[in-house]
Amino acid sequence: MTQIVAASSRPITVGQVDVRRRRADHTSGKRGQWLRFLLIAVITAIVIVPIFTVFLLSLQPSLGSTSTAAFTLENFANVFSQTSVLTWLTNSLLVTVVTVVIAVVVAAPAGYVLSRARNKLVSGYSLILFVVQSLPVVTAVIPLFILFAQIGLVDNLVGVTIIYVGATMSVAIWMMAAYFDSIPITLEEAAWMDGASVFGSFTRVVLRNSLPGILSTAIFSFLLAWNDYLIAVVFLRSDGNYTLPVGLETFFQQNATNWGLVMAVAVVMMLPPVLLFAFLNRYFSVGGIGGSLAGK
Amino acid sequence: MTASTAERLNRARRGVGVSGHGPGAPAPRRKSVISARAWTLLAFALPSLLLLLLINLYPVIYAGIQSIRNGDLINAGDFVGFANYASVLSSPQFWSSAQFTLIFTISGVFGSWAVGLALALLLRTRIPAGNVFKVLLLLPWIVPVVVSATSWNFLVATPQSPIPILFTALGMPNVLFLASPVLAQVTVCIFKIWISFPFMMMMMASALASVDVNVYEAAKMDGASTWQTFRGVTLPIISRSTYISWILMTIFCVNDFPTIFLLTGGGPVNSTTSLVVLAYRTVFQNFQVGPGVAIAFLMTFVLVVISVVLYRQIRKVNVE
Repeated sequence: MTQIVAASSRPITVGQVDVRRRRADHTSGKRGQWLRFLLIAVITAIVIVPIFTVFLLSLQPSLGSTSTAAFTLENFANVFSQTSVLTWLTNSLLVTVVTVVIAVVVAAPAGYVLSRARNKLVSGYSLILFVVQSLPVVTAVIPLFILFAQIGLVDNLVGVTIIYVGATMSVAIWMMAAYFDSIPITLEEAAWMDGASVFGSFTRVVLRNSLPGILSTAIFSFLLAWNDYLIAVVFLRSDGNYTLPVGLETFFQQNATNWGLVMAVAVVMMLPPVLLFAFLNRYFSVGGIGGSLAGK
Repeated sequence: MTASTAERLNRARRGVGVSGHGPGAPAPRRKSVISARAWTLLAFALPSLLLLLLINLYPVIYAGIQSIRNGDLINAGDFVGFANYASVLSSPQFWSSAQFTLIFTISGVFGSWAVGLALALLLRTRIPAGNVFKVLLLLPWIVPVVVSATSWNFLVATPQSPIPILFTALGMPNVLFLASPVLAQVTVCIFKIWISFPFMMMMMASALASVDVNVYEAAKMDGASTWQTFRGVTLPIISRSTYISWILMTIFCVNDFPTIFLLTGGGPVNSTTSLVVLAYRTVFQNFQVGPGVAIAFLMTFVLVVISVVLYRQIRKVNVE
């Protein structure tokens, strides 16, 4: 009950802000804008404190350093020369890029089926996707560990990549389907008139017009594979095979007091997704998931 | 030639002439086209189906079998009936974990929704550099949990951390956020809200984007207050997206492992051990595969039942 009260008390404050704006629109529109600017700036500043902290600490001289400068890059130099962070970075990049490519290649045609075909089989398929999405990863991890141990895929980057692709499937398919829904079917019908097959019209007409949808799916798969900790910590067992999440966590356990070094590794780990979003965020949309989940 | 006009029109629409198919007319190809299309679509769906079977369905079935045996990570073990379930269901830790999972999920879903919706509403208004804030506010969701958990650890874990020092400076007692069971639970829940609100913000922003501005103008004309407009216009329009985002977030919260495990490890005194963390520790730290899988399988069972019911519900809401 308290949660519901808390939930509904939030929008009231927003409402008040809105009132101020509406009135301000008539009298002093600029002032209302800057008040809201101030409000959102303060909220944003508080929200990103933990992220700002990571950058700040990584640039400060660490324990036992002889440097007197306020900011230094020596943590990064030390981390790259003394630890396997370069190997972890390479492993993470490899696993993530392969996951993204396979996820898009497999999810795009499946999303097309979900978007264009309407029958009992497709509804059943859609239900399977939804149920699968709600399964706890930890349930899948234990049997997969036993299976992969028998076929030599434990402590193996191929093993985790396969699981990541499987884990991205439901959402990736929904995202692709949501995008295909926005492409008018008349385009394909025109192609069929010209004698194109379903496959031909899919690759030449639909996919060619789906770059934003593909990018959205790719970004989602990237985040999932790059950020995963549970699967990596269970399946990757040796330092040379660690991806960054396990590498960082292990390094943190061993050097918990040397924050400069730990945060340098953390910066290496968070830069790729942050940069990816900085450039591609306008392509990323989660709104469509809801649409395709509800069958429009 | 006694066909009525309506009948003739009907024939024309079907592409059949007044005299039916003439001898030279091409045979109807519809059937073969459909089956070729069906085969292509099946081929389109097949790879994803195989992946889902291998990575998701096979393990669930295996877990079901493993939960009624006394095996370990290498041997399948012997059939023990429901002994694992009995031992799990009779352990107090299971029930306190279930309770924490419930608290964590409810606060995670509604907390992140409230914050996300409030920010989505605020960011919809005209604000200088609004787009910059939109991207900056997504950071908690984009940054890997391992990184943010490390940072939160630095900020709150020990009495010498910045946030406890700030609390002392403000005249409050020195707070040990991760050392007292209740405070650790609160901290983990806030951490989860901090990670999840950007997702809710995106969901709500895209739902709000579909609201016609004229609706607001009309409400304003009728003299509705801002609160009335929110209750009467905004909420009903975004209700379906809200419902779907609650369902997705419930699933994300119940299944969440790293947020809890990386911040507290499940402690202190197991106060933040959710069911997923309990299952993980039972299998990979205590090496009791049977009971661990039984916990996971109980969760799976409850989640599948809930998700099938909710899925039906979404489709029903959609039809209305």
